[in-house]
Amino acid sequence: MSVLMRATEVIKRPVVTLAGEAVAQVKDIVYEGDGGHVGGFTLAGRGLFAGPLKVALGWESVSALGNDALMIRDEGVFEAPEQVVSRSTARRGDVLGSRVMTDDGTELGTITDVILGVTDVADVIGYEIDSSPALGKDGRRVLIPLPDTLSISGEALMLPSAAKEFVSDDLAGFGAAVQEFRTRLAGGGAT
Amino acid sequence: MRFSEAKNHRVMSVNDAATVGKVQRIAVDPTTSTIAGLKLRKTPGEGDSLAWSELSAFGRDAVTIDSADRIVRATGDLRRLLGKDHAVLGKRVLSVGGVDLGTVTDVDFDMGSGAVISVITERHELPGSGIVGLGSYALVVDTARP
Repeated sequence: MSVLMRATEVIKRPVVTLAGEAVAQVKDIVYEGDGGHVGGFTLAGRGLFAGPLKVALGWESVSALGNDALMIRDEGVFEAPEQVVSRSTARRGDVLGSRVMTDDGTELGTITDVILGVTDVADVIGYEIDSSPALGKDGRRVLIPLPDTLSISGEALMLPSAAKEFVSDDLAGFGAAVQEFRTRLAGGGAT
Repeated sequence: MRFSEAKNHRVMSVNDAATVGKVQRIAVDPTTSTIAGLKLRKTPGEGDSLAWSELSAFGRDAVTIDSADRIVRATGDLRRLLGKDHAVLGKRVLSVGGVDLGTVTDVDFDMGSGAVISVITERHELPGSGIVGLGSYALVVDTARP
């Protein structure tokens, strides 16, 4: 079962060894695979005045990404930042403020957060958006599911119009909405 | 017995029937899920630490040792585990999956073997055998481990 979380909530999450020592905090998420999943993390020291660390973390070295901590075996799994950042093919992660359009020409809103579905991998499964009037949600923040692949530019990203029908108000139930949306796109499931 | 009951337990030396200290803190060795030793207060000498292996018995009403000479100044692992930053009571508990399970409110242990039977938080009672690590930030437990 995947755990859903907002990418902004992963920032500053403590990095804790299995021996129970907090050795860093998450500074930023590095996306790879055309931004479709998390490739790793850049790190900062812990505490108010700690700066960025000269180490980073590849996803394969993460024991678990939980709601309260990012667990690693020990500090031996750290890598040089270049090694992790060089994998970045970020498009899908670096999208805050981008407009979301549907292929029938409706603007759904602007992106405020990235929703991750975490299992053995951390997939980008949706976005939180400030909804446009077209969604009829009174401008509230809502969650929209992403297809497996999508087209994206610096300006906007384009979703199948069916995405409108799978909007969720919160993370509870959003995982199921993403599943149904993707099933629909694949041509299966009842409509 | 619980840590909450064991705190302030009297430590007595058998050879002269004298009280030689009181239990201040109990250290857990995360690699074996057992009690590593005791930190004492009100000891007669400079030493304030007692390794579990040095005890004659951990009894219902007192800890016994054969002589006050068993109380030493801790070194190495025992010193680290007896330190304040490794104190178990009040420690944050994280699962190996990175989920907060509360803070330790008490620990249940076997007075004979020193094995930690369970770690108790506000919301959970976790088997001692699941202890993976104990650091200054958290006690890490594997809730799937039998």
